[in-house]
Amino acid sequence: MPILLIAGKETGELLLSVRGLAWLLVLSVVLSGFGFLLVSDTELSLLDNAQVVYDMAGIITALGCLLALIVGVDTIAGERERGSLVPLLLTTVSRDGILLGKLGGVAVAWVVIYALAAPYLWAVGSTGQNLADGLLGLALLGTPVVLGFGFLGMGLGACLGTARTGLLIGLIVLVLAASPLLLGPSLRQSAVGRAFDAINPFSAAVNAYDAMIIDSLPIAAQVVNLAVTAAWFALALWFARASFHRIAR
Amino acid sequence: MLIEIDRLRLSLAGVPILRAVRLSLGEGEIYGLLGPNGAGKSTTIAAVLGLLVPESGTVRVLGRDPRREPRAVHARLGVLPEQGGFYDWMTAERYLGFFARLYGRSLSASTLGDRLARVGLMPRRGQAIGSYSRGMRQRLALARALLIDPPLLILDEPTNGLDPRGRRDIHDILLALADGGVGILLSTHLLDDVDRLCRRIGIIAEGRTVAEGNVVDLMGANSSPQRFRLRLTGAPPCAEIGNVTILARDGDWWTIDIDPAWNPEAVWHDLFCGGWPIAEIRRESGGLEDLYLALTERPAA
Repeated sequence: MPILLIAGKETGELLLSVRGLAWLLVLSVVLSGFGFLLVSDTELSLLDNAQVVYDMAGIITALGCLLALIVGVDTIAGERERGSLVPLLLTTVSRDGILLGKLGGVAVAWVVIYALAAPYLWAVGSTGQNLADGLLGLALLGTPVVLGFGFLGMGLGACLGTARTGLLIGLIVLVLAASPLLLGPSLRQSAVGRAFDAINPFSAAVNAYDAMIIDSLPIAAQVVNLAVTAAWFALALWFARASFHRIAR
Repeated sequence: MLIEIDRLRLSLAGVPILRAVRLSLGEGEIYGLLGPNGAGKSTTIAAVLGLLVPESGTVRVLGRDPRREPRAVHARLGVLPEQGGFYDWMTAERYLGFFARLYGRSLSASTLGDRLARVGLMPRRGQAIGSYSRGMRQRLALARALLIDPPLLILDEPTNGLDPRGRRDIHDILLALADGGVGILLSTHLLDDVDRLCRRIGIIAEGRTVAEGNVVDLMGANSSPQRFRLRLTGAPPCAEIGNVTILARDGDWWTIDIDPAWNPEAVWHDLFCGGWPIAEIRRESGGLEDLYLALTERPAA
């Protein structure tokens, strides 16, 4: 019950505050920009439907991670700076309960992005081709990656104290993790690239999108990628929990 | 005792912040926690709240160790932290309702209204907190602290940002709570607040309790006389009274010293009853401020 209450508060903060609404507006604009580029650019429009849906799924995951990171850092470090965290810590709700409630806010942000992204995936995939695979991949692999970044943001916000520092370090991690979107395929095939891909949750999600959307492989074939994203989620949860329990004021 | 602290020692990042703090607060008592900036008041409060782990010494709050049983302590504790942050998009009513439910209580709209009326926020109950002034936020923070009818209140600078009427209102609320048996730990820099509200104080300097006890006793122990100027509308009936030494007269104004061991309130009572036509009283020296300055003076380098 307290977890739901806190999650409701976090959702209200996201959907009713000017700051939260501004983030969602920016997100819609970015998705519209990418969507427009994918269907209107002369060279990009030559890509087949599956490739375009795959690209869009990667972009949606990256945007989800970015928003989760921002919400995660703000919900701990931002609240600490604004002085609203201590009254929450002094209620009878356990720290784990508060942390899970705050994750609820991140989860709602991801659900909103997911809902916002569905029509874009439908549109860039030429009226719905590969849409189901894209949505399934985002739900099963995108969700643990995004929520993991939410926990990373919370953990950084808790242990670093200031929202600015937490966000800066979180962004560095996110850019590193999302580098498979930025690096060319040849670099990813190098020894270092392959090693990085093997442990990078973002790579796991993107590789699974590739297999599911472009190669039409079943989700059952993505056990390793699912395991990597689940491990990332568990690691980020452990980090957030350990950091949050150490907060003194 | 609601709070018992003895020989509390605590370090942050290897730096000793508290070296030897003691404090005891009973039911119905308003205890003033005083000290210069950086003396360790906020750290002491954090230890009382179970947020920081002491290196040594004992901290008992409501009969429990706040570090081992934080939820049991928090369930009976009202706190007004120094930095009161809010959710600006909520209304005051929704905000209090949210916290009440976190404490496992479902308060009706009329009960929430009573809580807001108590701190003078009833007319603004439906407005977003973002539109509140600093003083109104302070009142809302007090309403939140009182939400669960706690037997113990911990208030860090509760009258910060309040206008004189607002301060007086908060004083009246706190005095009424103390009369009802609530123990209040009041950390403040405003000695007027302490003068009006507290019978007992503790003064912390450089992480140590340098004085603790009854205000009058401490001022008596300070041994400097309490000097006042009185405006009299006529001549006093007798020139000498046991605890009062008349030093000078300038027209209607008489300068007097009161023995430091005596409570001025008791002396005024005696003088009034003795027929002294007192129209106005002004403190010149020897008050709480002198005591505070004397006890927190840093040794010359």
